[in-house]
Amino acid sequence: MKGLAPLFLGIFGTFAFSWIGLTVIPNWQIGHLNPESDEEGTDIYPQPQSGMFERGAHVYAANGCVYCHSQQVRADYAANDIERGWGNRRSAPSDYLFERPVFLGKMRMGQDLANIGARAPAQQESPAPAGAASPVASPGASATSPAPATSPSSQPSPATAGGSPTTSPAQSSPAGSSSPNTSPPPGQRTGVASPSPGQMANATSGGNSPVAATAQTPGAPWPIQTEGLPPMYSAAWHHVHLYSPRSINLDSNMPSYRFLYEKRRISGERSADALQLSGSDVPPEGWEVVPSYDAKCLVAYLMALNQSHPLKGLRSTGGASAPGPSPAAASQGASPAPSPAAAKK
Amino acid sequence: MNATGIPLKEPAIASAAGDMEQLERAYIDASTRVPVLMFYTSAIAWLLLGTVLAGVVSFKLHSPDLLGNISFLTWGRLRPVHMNVMVYGWASMAGMGTAVWLMARLCRTTLRFPLLLVAGAGFWNIGVLIGIGAILLGDSTGFQWLEFPRYVAVILFVAYTLMASWAVLMFRHRRGDQIYITQWYLLGAFLWFPWLYAAGQLMLFVVPVQGVLQAAVGWWYANNLLFLWFGAIALGTAYYMIPKVIGRPVYSYHLATIGFWTFALFSSWTGMTRLVDGPFPAWMITASISATILTMIPVATVGLNHHLTMKGYFPLLRYSPTLRFTVFGAMSYTIFSVIGVLISLRSVARYVNFTQASIAYSHLGLYAFFTMVIFGAMYYIVPRLVGREWRYASLIKLHFWASAYGIGLMTLMLLAGGFLQGADMQNPALPFSESIETVLPYLRGRSLAGILLTVANFIFAYHFGLMLLGLGRTSTVPTFLNPVDAEPSGGH
Repeated sequence: MKGLAPLFLGIFGTFAFSWIGLTVIPNWQIGHLNPESDEEGTDIYPQPQSGMFERGAHVYAANGCVYCHSQQVRADYAANDIERGWGNRRSAPSDYLFERPVFLGKMRMGQDLANIGARAPAQQESPAPAGAASPVASPGASATSPAPATSPSSQPSPATAGGSPTTSPAQSSPAGSSSPNTSPPPGQRTGVASPSPGQMANATSGGNSPVAATAQTPGAPWPIQTEGLPPMYSAAWHHVHLYSPRSINLDSNMPSYRFLYEKRRISGERSADALQLSGSDVPPEGWEVVPSYDAKCLVAYLMALNQSHPLKGLRSTGGASAPGPSPAAASQGASPAPSPAAAKK
Repeated sequence: MNATGIPLKEPAIASAAGDMEQLERAYIDASTRVPVLMFYTSAIAWLLLGTVLAGVVSFKLHSPDLLGNISFLTWGRLRPVHMNVMVYGWASMAGMGTAVWLMARLCRTTLRFPLLLVAGAGFWNIGVLIGIGAILLGDSTGFQWLEFPRYVAVILFVAYTLMASWAVLMFRHRRGDQIYITQWYLLGAFLWFPWLYAAGQLMLFVVPVQGVLQAAVGWWYANNLLFLWFGAIALGTAYYMIPKVIGRPVYSYHLATIGFWTFALFSSWTGMTRLVDGPFPAWMITASISATILTMIPVATVGLNHHLTMKGYFPLLRYSPTLRFTVFGAMSYTIFSVIGVLISLRSVARYVNFTQASIAYSHLGLYAFFTMVIFGAMYYIVPRLVGREWRYASLIKLHFWASAYGIGLMTLMLLAGGFLQGADMQNPALPFSESIETVLPYLRGRSLAGILLTVANFIFAYHFGLMLLGLGRTSTVPTFLNPVDAEPSGGH
């Protein structure tokens, strides 16, 4: 090759092509979305996140959770994420408007967490997991344990009174899109708030997914509710799980994050947020394990991960889909058929 | 032909070129000694650290309680440290050292302004060191290959600017009109990297883009770093080493031109394949999948060109360490790209997108391809810097076979494990935990493969240390893998 000018021009040109094509144009297309709301301008989704959420996201990044957990639900024609109970609709760009950084993830050595907050038990009357082989029944079982776990101190939780877990995603985060009062009973409209993947799969099979209609309910919901532990995916459960994953699931290969917790001597009364541990993890008499502020933020972050709010133009399972196709390129963008590029023509 | 009858070292000199040219090359090599050895020594130190970390990370993945309860030894921190040490410590340093030497040789001028390079290498080392400290203390950004916090990016950028300005100065002082293929790739790499790094930093941390676009920018960055930075350096190196060692010009300049421009055009568009079925406009992912398929053009032209250059000279692989490593790397480039196409197709990607198969892909690119080519270059360059030949042929052989089997086994384990993991994950009748149970034995196998690679890297570092200490052989004949006189004729 003779001459420097064509070489330099080519080197710049090819790269500029890629840079503009894959970052600048997408930014122009979906980089300035606004939250959605209904006609009255209420029920805005998504909403900005709390300070605890942001700090929790930082803890999530610092400890590399993203290397094993994704936060994206794929459409039902592409994968069975929805069937696994990881969400009631596919993820869309609008779901991540206020997240910085965004943890879409590239690996699933653990479950998808896009809706982990939505999967927390909403109310005490939540039905028992519907999965066939669940050995221990309902979240209510844990109410019999002597020292009920309570939510992190961030929540003015009434849980201490009755011993029944009442943490809900909406309570734990100001970002929760709907409060438990306004949302329908779990499993009916969205199916997201059900406590077990098994149940969610059931909800799906009644829906319009042809795969789900034929598929069997997963033999055993996973992970399963363990006796004597807080109800699955509640804040207290997350703390126990982070502290000692193998006390909940013997085969788990998640590292334990004990360094986010403090083992200390009980002074006076047992702390309200002390972990409700079992087996060999139980601290010696007169001691307790309490979450650090980072751990509380991390759990607040997890509890706020919730994409169950319907989006225009995206079909949610369980008949909760928003009415009619929407012209918004944002929510349609991800679906292959009505490509926004085509829509713009 | 030299006394051995095999044109293994500087064949052009013995036959065609005069003593002057040989002398000139010796001068150029001597002038690169301090900076290039500094790059290489740092790189190999990082390689050892990265290898040890890789072992810990690999074992922790199937034995999660190992070294568990200390914050900075948790898996989620050691893993990004391992990746960043390998990417910015080992691969970037080794690549830049090789590029510096190649630039001096190809510009046919002694290395000027060595202080720019020494300072650049120093700052780069400091940057990587602070960066891994920051990750260990919990200051990671959470974006793959961009985990270093912003203040570290500034240090790395200063270091890089020093080295890039050196490259520009050197290029201005070059002699001769011809710009060799290797220089295209190296110039490309040197110009692409700063743009890439700056764009990544700006769009993610300084003026962050909204929502999911961060993930798009992140993967655009990571994939382009793999192709346009490491890939370009390794391809340029292979284009120099293969013809040089066998003493024969590149088969076709025309093919090389096609290969280079299609490489630049298509491989830079491949990043979004990692986001298949994600919350993005479908055209982005489709464009990347198409680009990935089109990368078969540069792969085919480059592969064909190397093959036709090597034709008739393959028996030399028996003797030359450089050739053996370089050819292994060049062949891995083909395998890496073919697997890249395979796992990017939507129907396959749905199965393997969230599995260990993508780890196999990264290792194929960064180790089987890039690192092996750079090892080959080091076997060629280091003797010319220290004035000694490699001491033990047996150690080189051991290094090669341990690396080759190690990376081969690792790739197979991760690919097979990844495909099975993905199949289980896509089967709604199985609980999710089943997919983890399925992949765990393969991860244990991967740890075994990692032991082989650890052995290989430590052997190489030991051998390199001997060379640094001046304990290499004093000889005019390079170290061959097998005794040359045992074979009546070598190739042709």
